[in-house]
Amino acid sequence: MKKSLLSIRDVTKHFAEVEALQGISLEIYSGEIVGLVGSNGAGKTTLLRLMAGVYKPSSGSVLLSNGESVTTMRQELGVVPESTGLYSRLTAWENIRYHSRMHGVSDEISWARTEKFAEHLDMKESLGRHTKGFSRGMRQKTALLRALAHGPNILLLDEPTAGLDITSARTVRALVRQLRDEGGTVIYSTHQLAEAQQVCDRIVIIHNGEIRADGPPKKLLEDTNTHSLEEAYVSLTLDQARTRKEDNDKESAFTGWWRRLFTPKTPTTTREVMESE
Amino acid sequence: MSDGSFRRVRSIAKKEVVEFTRDWRTIIAIIVIPLLMFPLLFILFPILLESEAAELDAMELTIVIQTDGLPTNLAENITLSGINYTLETLPNTTSLSTPGPDLERVRNSSADAVLRFESNEDVWGYAILHLSTSERSNEARYRVLNVLAEWEDSEVRERIELGGLDVNETLDPLRWDGEISSGDVATTGEQSGMILSLFIPLVLAIWTYSSAIQPSIDMTAGERERGTLEALLCLPCTRMELLFGKWLAVATITGVGVLLQIFGLLFAIGYLASSSFIGVPQLSIVSVLLIVLSIMLFAIMVVAFELALAMRSHSVKEAGSILAPALMLILFPALFTQVINLDGIEGFWFAIPVVNILLALRELLMNRVITEHVIIWAVSSIIYATLAAYYASRQFSREDIVTSLS
Repeated sequence: MKKSLLSIRDVTKHFAEVEALQGISLEIYSGEIVGLVGSNGAGKTTLLRLMAGVYKPSSGSVLLSNGESVTTMRQELGVVPESTGLYSRLTAWENIRYHSRMHGVSDEISWARTEKFAEHLDMKESLGRHTKGFSRGMRQKTALLRALAHGPNILLLDEPTAGLDITSARTVRALVRQLRDEGGTVIYSTHQLAEAQQVCDRIVIIHNGEIRADGPPKKLLEDTNTHSLEEAYVSLTLDQARTRKEDNDKESAFTGWWRRLFTPKTPTTTREVMESE
Repeated sequence: MSDGSFRRVRSIAKKEVVEFTRDWRTIIAIIVIPLLMFPLLFILFPILLESEAAELDAMELTIVIQTDGLPTNLAENITLSGINYTLETLPNTTSLSTPGPDLERVRNSSADAVLRFESNEDVWGYAILHLSTSERSNEARYRVLNVLAEWEDSEVRERIELGGLDVNETLDPLRWDGEISSGDVATTGEQSGMILSLFIPLVLAIWTYSSAIQPSIDMTAGERERGTLEALLCLPCTRMELLFGKWLAVATITGVGVLLQIFGLLFAIGYLASSSFIGVPQLSIVSVLLIVLSIMLFAIMVVAFELALAMRSHSVKEAGSILAPALMLILFPALFTQVINLDGIEGFWFAIPVVNILLALRELLMNRVITEHVIIWAVSSIIYATLAAYYASRQFSREDIVTSLS
């Protein structure tokens, strides 16, 4: 039986009037790659940030297997956010070392782990270079090395192959699978179904802040009685995706007045057309 | 603070300083400009003024003298001062100052000035027509006035002698006896402290605020905009550690900038003035310690306030548009403080934010340690610094700091 590493129980997350996540419950077990799949704005990044302890749940809990909150046990986690978050005036190694030191890991241990994975990602020669001139792929690989350097139990990856060329994306996916084979746990957020199917042992489909399906790809097909994951996804997310209408609703009376003042009114009558000229 | 916490704060501060100083623009803004600003202003500016003055001195000027009889020695002195003149008869005007028909010739620079000189038996009347917006015309007026003043002085002396009086006794009946400086009982150290107290607090306040703007924005709104903050917030450090680390980095960078600027200022003054103009202020150990405390409290308050405002902002642009005008919150009290009379000052002044620290610095630089004032400014500054730090911690604890406009 697999050991539970992370337990998300009945989590809800609000941002003002917006309910980003609604009653999410999820168990993450050791040694698996869990794919969080959903459209833009579905709630994947919010869920990842809750797992990383960046957000606190409005209700419910996100706990590690020992019952501790993730915010107090962040050294268990390695996170690669979508933006990678590299400092351009530091070298790749300095970026990695900075995070490792914050995790309380010595430079020697951190270097040994970095060297091992850098070899795999073909990044060893670039570790001493400033990240300013790095391509998207190199930035992503550096962020991955940074997340691995302190030896986390759980790796959280937000769209790790977004914007990468085919070769770089393949390398990243291969590394993720290697980590799983070595007993690591990876939570992999993506909106690419094909990629999720290729990499993940288990797929969690999120839509409008709710979990619509959770299981291995094969089981999802059986449950939805479909032949492809794409069909399964469509059948599970038939309701329209949320819009960001609430952004407009939040406009204050003052900003609304200011905006209207400088927005030319479209003339509708002949008199208005004449006046506008 | 635990060992781990201290280590993380140090790592954050160190990384911020290293990253910040790798930008050449930062080196210019924080080190080169503060170091060179005052020396350039105080040394090059006088050199420029001197060369301009020499140029004016060498200038040959042309004036018109309208008179009904010019004393010979006055005419000679006018020629000796580098002025060429032509003589004309006095025009028929209501007073000598009325330009009348000479208005245009001065305005179109055909004459640099017009001197009207009229003799009325023992008393002469005169007026100089000039164009105040012209350097040449101003210089002509200045030289003519000098010649007239000298001529008047010799006339006065001559008349006193003719009246059978002693010239010196008549003109200077009240005299200071001995060295004027011996009458000041303040020591040289106290006088130096007094001079320093006129500008050090002002420079310290304005430069502390303004040099903290750039690093504060870069380390908060900048991180937010570049998307590096999210990765940082996933690390095992508390938001308070993050705030403290960044505060330490901003305070270090700002401290270096302010110190260099004060060094540059003192160097410029030392170069410009004689060694007696400014010296080392005579300060007791207590004054020195209180100066350090007041600067620290001020730095805590200002840097925390700036970090908080910058962290509230979604972008570098937004942060800049908030922090730059907020300089007025420091500038006006700082200028206001300079004119407050410290003798018999009421205690409440030492409780007003910004004003309290600047007044404290002025007093302490003059080696005045007044217990009542020290208690008021120390307690009020601790309260303001705590409030600023609390406000900053609230901003750093916000969940939305992880999101950026991009």
